[in-house]
Amino acid sequence: MNVCDKCGSPEIIIKKKQSGQKLCSKCFIESTKNKVLKDIRKQNLIEKGDKVLLGLSGGKDSVMLLDILSTLKNRGIIDIVAVTIDEGIEGYREEGVELAIKNAEKYGVEHKVVSFKQYFGTTLDKIIQNNSEDARRNACTYCGVFRRWIFNRVSREVGATKIATGHNLDDETQSIVMSYLEGNIQNLTRIGPKSQSKSDKFTVKIKPLREIPEREIGLYVIAKELDVHFAGCPYAGESFRAEIGTFLKQLTNDHPTIMYSTLRGFDRIKPVLKKEFGKESVFDECEICGEPSASKLCKACSFLKQWEDPG
Amino acid sequence: MKINVKVGNNEDTVTVSEDKTIKDLLESMEIAVETVVVKKNDYIVIDEELIEDGDSIEIIQVIYGG
Repeated sequence: MNVCDKCGSPEIIIKKKQSGQKLCSKCFIESTKNKVLKDIRKQNLIEKGDKVLLGLSGGKDSVMLLDILSTLKNRGIIDIVAVTIDEGIEGYREEGVELAIKNAEKYGVEHKVVSFKQYFGTTLDKIIQNNSEDARRNACTYCGVFRRWIFNRVSREVGATKIATGHNLDDETQSIVMSYLEGNIQNLTRIGPKSQSKSDKFTVKIKPLREIPEREIGLYVIAKELDVHFAGCPYAGESFRAEIGTFLKQLTNDHPTIMYSTLRGFDRIKPVLKKEFGKESVFDECEICGEPSASKLCKACSFLKQWEDPG
Repeated sequence: MKINVKVGNNEDTVTVSEDKTIKDLLESMEIAVETVVVKKNDYIVIDEELIEDGDSIEIIQVIYGG
């Protein structure tokens, strides 16, 4: 008989393949929230008094993050400022921004909506249109660099002490597997629940949802009837990450604990990788924008310059 | 058995044989089980759930590329 393992309700909404645990809606929501709060404590992601800049795209991960971190805000432990970045992706981003605004209002958090246009004078659509075939395949790389630049800039503008994003278990294991397959050891030394601030111009980044499988995030927001933007970025389908994501999800069907074991194993070797391969970057300032940079130009400015003079 | 199946904005009446589960239905529609949340008559159900005559099934895609 399929009943909730915690309260006995027959209306179960999940039977976890990794553990066989059956839960009803109320118990699933509560136990998931408690797991995230526990992970935050275990990994020291948040301190009392933190001002958290929360990346709010309006998608399921960031809305769930806002829902859970609001608990800490309501207890007076942290303050939250939400930021939504409009990359200028037509037919996709508009709905996310609307839902982000709605949710920020619902949870009563200060909200900034900023754009690529505002900071870089262009949109992701234009970048892809105006450049070579390669640009489309590397859309995620460019987009990620620009978004992170904006996060750091806005974080300093509002005086945030942490930047929180909704990266989930699927995202983290994809990053680990991608980096390993590409032989990108430097990247491997940087993946984790909490980044280290090597320059005081960089704000520490945290990933409170890191151990929650992507599907459970979808289930949480539907069970809790949260207003969320369910859609895929039109540029994401052709990415290497999408290939790895599909591969890991298929593996999970027959090997339900595989993402957990990948993450656990990685977390154990990371300190060793960091010790052996971690580069102590000396941070100076980007010549053009003043943001911290390990070379003359920060990545964002070097991309913009590359497209300006294609020669 | 006749059931109502809603995916996104598309709604269709579908005929299924007896003893079919949600998982069977998703597989026949070539929808990856791990990327959706399914509601049966407005209640979230797991993929082992049996489909009954007259059911209203809503398939919600929660995982995409972006």
